[in-house]
Amino acid sequence: MEAMPARTIARTKVDAWISRLLEDAEVVAPVAAEGGDVLYRPVTVPQDVLWEFDNSLQPPKEYVLPQTEPLLAVRAGDHRVSVSALYDLSRRVLFNVRSCDASGIAFLAHISAADLPDPHVLHRLAHTTIVTLACCSPCRDGFCVCSGSGPFLTTGFDVQLVDLGECLLAEVGSAKGRALLDRASDLFREPTAAEREQRQRAEEKALGEFGEQTCHFASAMRRVSTGRVAEALWEAMSPWCLECGGCNHVCPTCYCFSVKDRAEEAGWTRCRLWDSCQLAAFTMEASGHNPRLRRADRIKRRFFHKVSAQYYQRDGMVGCVGCGRCVQVCLGTTHMPAVVAAIRKGEWHG
Amino acid sequence: MAGVSPSRNHPVSRGRLCARGWSAHEAPAWGQRLDSPRIRRGGVLETVSWEEALAEAAARLSALLAAGKPVGVIGSPRATNEENYLAVRLARGALSSGNLDLCSGTAYSAVADALQPAGTLDDVASSESLAILEGDLATSHPQAAAAVLTAVHSGARLITIGAARTQMARLAVAHLQATPGREEEVLARLVAAVPCERADDAPTEAGGNWRASRLEAGGLAEGDVDRAARWLAEARRAAFLIPADGRLGEGAGGVASALAALAAATGHLGRPGSAVVPLAARANLRGARDVGVRPDAWPGGARLGDPMAADRLGGEWGRPPSAREGSRAAQLPAAVAGLVVVAEDLAATLLDGAAAAATLGALEFLLVLDAFATPTAALAHVSLPIASLAETEGTVTPLDGRHQAVRACVAPPGRARAGWRVLADLGGALGLPTGFDTVAGVTAEIARAVPPGEPAPGEGLAQPLAEATAEAAHERRKRSTPSPPPADGAARFPFRLALADGFDWGRDVLVAFSPTLCRDHLALRKMYPRGAVEMSREDAESLGVRQGWTVRVCSTGGEAALGVMVRPDLMQGVLRIPFAFREPAAPLLAGATSADVRVERA
Repeated sequence: MEAMPARTIARTKVDAWISRLLEDAEVVAPVAAEGGDVLYRPVTVPQDVLWEFDNSLQPPKEYVLPQTEPLLAVRAGDHRVSVSALYDLSRRVLFNVRSCDASGIAFLAHISAADLPDPHVLHRLAHTTIVTLACCSPCRDGFCVCSGSGPFLTTGFDVQLVDLGECLLAEVGSAKGRALLDRASDLFREPTAAEREQRQRAEEKALGEFGEQTCHFASAMRRVSTGRVAEALWEAMSPWCLECGGCNHVCPTCYCFSVKDRAEEAGWTRCRLWDSCQLAAFTMEASGHNPRLRRADRIKRRFFHKVSAQYYQRDGMVGCVGCGRCVQVCLGTTHMPAVVAAIRKGEWHG
Repeated sequence: MAGVSPSRNHPVSRGRLCARGWSAHEAPAWGQRLDSPRIRRGGVLETVSWEEALAEAAARLSALLAAGKPVGVIGSPRATNEENYLAVRLARGALSSGNLDLCSGTAYSAVADALQPAGTLDDVASSESLAILEGDLATSHPQAAAAVLTAVHSGARLITIGAARTQMARLAVAHLQATPGREEEVLARLVAAVPCERADDAPTEAGGNWRASRLEAGGLAEGDVDRAARWLAEARRAAFLIPADGRLGEGAGGVASALAALAAATGHLGRPGSAVVPLAARANLRGARDVGVRPDAWPGGARLGDPMAADRLGGEWGRPPSAREGSRAAQLPAAVAGLVVVAEDLAATLLDGAAAAATLGALEFLLVLDAFATPTAALAHVSLPIASLAETEGTVTPLDGRHQAVRACVAPPGRARAGWRVLADLGGALGLPTGFDTVAGVTAEIARAVPPGEPAPGEGLAQPLAEATAEAAHERRKRSTPSPPPADGAARFPFRLALADGFDWGRDVLVAFSPTLCRDHLALRKMYPRGAVEMSREDAESLGVRQGWTVRVCSTGGEAALGVMVRPDLMQGVLRIPFAFREPAAPLLAGATSADVRVERA
């Protein structure tokens, strides 16, 4: 495989680079929060950026699709009503994003550009540069190898950083990425052959450490897409789900939402709110009819959307990036690896 | 406020939230908020300054005291421990009153007084056997249900006791069907079935009686009861869960005692790693009660008038604490001339909500402190805006008794202030000490005022153990029935009607003001504008009715026309009224929480 264009930056110069980035964009990076949690938050100083961290429980998806997002401002006055779109045009660098999360953002970008393009997400993405930090060892619950979304990426990033110890190799993934590096070109240099070799070995080592793959999407996809999953399987799963919606909120590829108008003094602001297809009310209609009244139907729908071939063909990738967050956040036991295993085996063991 | 992020390192949630947790930001952000102090003048609430509002409130309360008229205080599970403690200080320190309670207090006390809460959700999750008085744990307490799922996933044996084959019951190795009002008998049979090998843990003098008792509790296979009792006795660690939200009705205390007896008989009462968990309807109910929001005890459960507690509290408050025993929340509004309500909506929470609302309207003086514009706040003579839980500092107490710090993530809207600050200032205006610079000062005072140590688990339970026989349970049930059934009772009133649950989330501000959470409840009310009654599919078929049709339900107390909600998991012969629809069903229940009824198609 041809090596990507890349530049090297010495570890000692990284903080200077981040300071440079802070001059003309909001830099969102993993930071240590209260109680030892990791969160993706805007930083004000380079020292706040974490380099060794367990991936945050909340993905950086909220910087592409916020949990509460103002969409339109409706203002009433005199004899007119005005409606104006509210776009987030701030320049942003998402820094030290893990490969799985970058794949998730690429997925959302694809969804947002298809059919009726979503201008809110697309405007935000146009002003966002994604700098990933390749994973040199697997995280505890992750299975990105199973969905081609890590530990290293070949696409879906603007710059991919690989930690080589004394320096970082910065691989260019897009014109935006090249422009980002060019703006700090005095801090970067050409990589040496040894550094490129070290990067290759780092990727091979990371892949090798994954051990037994935990999520066999291909065989699950075949079963789901050819009607070979018994209805009874979803029914067996349903007492093990507590309908918290957590899986949807933390999933880098989930984007279901509802829309609500917030009354304000001058009018209303129409907002988009994260929602969850696992909540009973998500598909409830005004008549009271609910096409997914049974929880088994809602669970089936979620995994069909994530894993079936028709969506894979439409979206260009399986609807799961293997980040492992659903494993951590599920109040019950119905997370992706457990469900995929159940689909493959035809049995659910709770 | 735009969202919620779970904390993986949080000792209670460990990064996993329920649906209400994921939407916790919505009510403060979307709800109708109180943002300015207001005084009612000429029938209208006018915006005033804080100084004026506090002065007016203090003056009105003082006037009532001077005239010898009783004043009461309602605290709240929606408030912090510090807010509740300062409400207690206000009542017993400044207002010479024992009229102090939580709207959900009676239901919780009935259960928590009969057994000693012990253990954490971690203990539940690592139990080998579990027994649940099942309401619908997955809906009422998702975190507790998560702990149960963890245990069952690891091979634990779950035993559920209840009237419906709920989500938890579907995971159980034994579901012991129990008609509402007869749960005690099922528990007594379990106690009686505990194997003799546990004689070293079970009190021997009563053992013989238990062996001999048997009752016709209908529908219970002997094998199931014996197996369940054995599994509980064999487990090294076991958990016993019971709802404390009113759904068990008037007999809740007896059921709780019987559950405690089962825990004792199976050797788990007081055993490290085993858990006995009363489940309150709302988050900080235990905390509110522990700091003294109750008419029948002082902070920490100290006996009213206890000399050491009197010294402790008197030392902190600069005056002797009132040792009066006051009215319970349901009777409170009618028993007082003035009422202070902190973060609560009485009509939404009390069983007879309509009567409460009417009485509130007739009070001489109503002072409301709240973050949200509730119907109760709309009736206030003085309303003071306080911060919601997301905007304030303090502590709350989850069901396992730990203290959990709360920190503000945003400032409250408008001129709303931290509730503890408002209550401290109000207390100060009425002569109480005012030295709190920060909320930490209040927290520290709570630590000094609440006596250390708790009664040892099992203490005071010898009597209930002896009474946990099937005969005693049967006698208690007969005594507690409000009116004797007619001679041909079973034939004339063949159905048992009971409340399905004890709390209406749909009218709680945290849900009602949340766009994501309110939908189910709004839909339910839209579909059943005149109220509803749950029945099994078999009963619906034999009555010749379907979902949404109307039935006429009659008891000796009255009758009501209600919409049919078919519940395929409900046992035959039992009808249930969702707490949200208790008002249309009020003629049937006649003030109780259950009744024998007959039903016909309307």
